[in-house]
Amino acid sequence: MTDGAVAEAPPARADRLRHLLRGPVEVWERLGLRARITGLFALGALLLSILMGGLSFYTASHFLVSDQINASIKQSLAGTPTLEQGLAVPRADEFTLLASVNSTTGATTSVLFFGGNQYSTNTFSVSINDLPEGLRTLVRNGTPATETFDLNNHPQVAVGIPLPTVHARYFAIFDLNDLDHTLHVLALALVVGGLVTTVLGGLIGRLASGRSLRPLTAVSRAAVAIARGDLDTRLRATTEDPDLTGLTRSFNLMVDQLQDRIERDARFASDVSHELRSPLTTIANTLNVLEAHSSELSPRAGQALELLGGDLRRFERMVAELLEISRSDTGSAEMSLEFVDAGELVRQAVAAGVRTLPEAVAPPQVWIDPLLDDTILNVDKRRFERVMTNLLENAALYGGGATRVAAEPGPDRRGLPTMVVAVEDHGPGVPLGERRRIFDRFYRGQTAGRRGASTGTGLGLALVAEHVRLLGGLVGIEDAPGGGARFTVELPVTDGEEPG
Amino acid sequence: MSSRILVVEDDERIRSSMRLALEEEGYEVDDVASGEEALDHFSAQAPDVTLIDLMLPGMDGFECCRALRRQSAVPIIMVTARTDTHDIVAGLEAGADDYVTKPFVAKELGARIRALLRRARPAEEEPRVLTFGDLELIPEQGVLRHRDGEDVHCTRTEFRLLCELATNPNKVLTREQLLDRVWGYDYFGDGRLVDVHIRRLRTKVEPDPALPRHILTVRGMGYKLVP
Repeated sequence: MTDGAVAEAPPARADRLRHLLRGPVEVWERLGLRARITGLFALGALLLSILMGGLSFYTASHFLVSDQINASIKQSLAGTPTLEQGLAVPRADEFTLLASVNSTTGATTSVLFFGGNQYSTNTFSVSINDLPEGLRTLVRNGTPATETFDLNNHPQVAVGIPLPTVHARYFAIFDLNDLDHTLHVLALALVVGGLVTTVLGGLIGRLASGRSLRPLTAVSRAAVAIARGDLDTRLRATTEDPDLTGLTRSFNLMVDQLQDRIERDARFASDVSHELRSPLTTIANTLNVLEAHSSELSPRAGQALELLGGDLRRFERMVAELLEISRSDTGSAEMSLEFVDAGELVRQAVAAGVRTLPEAVAPPQVWIDPLLDDTILNVDKRRFERVMTNLLENAALYGGGATRVAAEPGPDRRGLPTMVVAVEDHGPGVPLGERRRIFDRFYRGQTAGRRGASTGTGLGLALVAEHVRLLGGLVGIEDAPGGGARFTVELPVTDGEEPG
Repeated sequence: MSSRILVVEDDERIRSSMRLALEEEGYEVDDVASGEEALDHFSAQAPDVTLIDLMLPGMDGFECCRALRRQSAVPIIMVTARTDTHDIVAGLEAGADDYVTKPFVAKELGARIRALLRRARPAEEEPRVLTFGDLELIPEQGVLRHRDGEDVHCTRTEFRLLCELATNPNKVLTREQLLDRVWGYDYFGDGRLVDVHIRRLRTKVEPDPALPRHILTVRGMGYKLVP
């Protein structure tokens, strides 16, 4: 510490205290509400048990010790008449006398100071010098007294009685070992009791906080469900508790409004797509007529018509896909499930997908694992067809065309078998960082080797993800074995035979 | 001889563009703007195929469909902007044979029309007579009648569906097979087309449509006809 700081010693000490406390305070604040309540309950229980235990121990030990001392005094006084009478007789045998008095009083050791000599029933270990000085002085001055002291690490109580008639002083020493043991046991019991109380306090705190935090837990669970897209989640008003109904009501109101808004947005997209369909029908049919007569047009006009046709088809797809995606946003997506053979489904879907591709794109090789023979799926066929079509188109646009479509058994999910259909290409692949975002709407890869003329709608892979989600499956991207991307679609397989 | 198509569509632009495009495909096209006009026109000159938009002012597409069905077995294709199950099934129930969703082009419409008109003209073959229950079916002559000679009225599509089932008695035909043979769709055609037509067919050929004895559903597979 510098000299200048000496004058400010008191605030510096406070600072140091604050500094010392900062660690624990930070730790405390970082703890959860539940942990803190538990901690407080435990601390309270601990303090309470220390207080109660200390009080009990103090009272009990005080009572027991004074009781023991009173008994000792009474016993010692019971021996004094014998001693006075015996010592009054000339040439008495002091040792024998003392021994007999010792057994009468029940003392551990008796010490007698008589005629300038001292006698002890336990000569080897206890002499008058072992007795406390204060006691000896008091007795020498003619005052009976008691005092507790330690002898060879054993607690003792000594009772000193002056015998003025025979000019003697009698000391009876009582062992307090039993009492000491009792007090030790008591202390141990109190400590154990205190610890048990602390733990119980903590447990009660945990239970109580759990109970009082249950509404919060419910809110957070509901919020998670809503964030996951489960917009029908609401809090149930289970209690009449006025503290909680407000929370429940405002939470539910918030979700209602949120849902309303989301649905309005989604409906808007759907309405827009519907409205666009009529003019699109006109444009598409008119263009068809123009295209049929393209040979009559000048080369420039023909080129313009070609551009128009290409982008009209793209626009049509966009509107159709926007409608498709908004339909699943509004939750009005309909599933028409059918039981179909896995191999047949994949073969047909690939065939349907290939039909939509330009003729220049070579069709992929299709491989169905023989293990999938007799495998039945309960699936919306048209949805699956859209998935394959979009994946094949994506491969054609960004991966130089799909090289292989492979269907094989997938990993079991929750004990149920799955099928994995992989679409592989030999393109540049999808960098790790883009693998999640590539399924976002209107996201286009940064590094993709895009083909100039025909770009996708930007919704293809988003729809793949959406359809697969509705089919109860999973989409993924891996590196294809020979380089390139490998898009995987995992679908649940119906267990066993086709149902009746 | 080219086929004559009646287009019922209230949007003038769509109507004109469809007329242009369908004429380009080689059809003769008549177009009207409402259901009422369609019925008038129909009695004046019966088309080979009718195209009805479901959203019409006044008499809507469903009603127009039902009205036409009452007087004719002409193939009807409904045009819809929505692909909700409700609209499509309701349209099929009203008597439509098939549907297209906007936006569509005359080319794909042409494919649907050709499928509906296929085998509409009797082939030069020796007529065969198929029988089931107390019904007689002569595919080449387009005849379905009770043994006592009373004709059973059904649409062309219903008739062809029945022929497919009756020429393969006791054999299960999947929805895909039926979609392919009757409507010209591939594997991913709409199975609802088959289901609704089977239901309609049952009301005509089954003694008790609720407890079919001849046209049976084989769950998870398809349909079969038991004579």
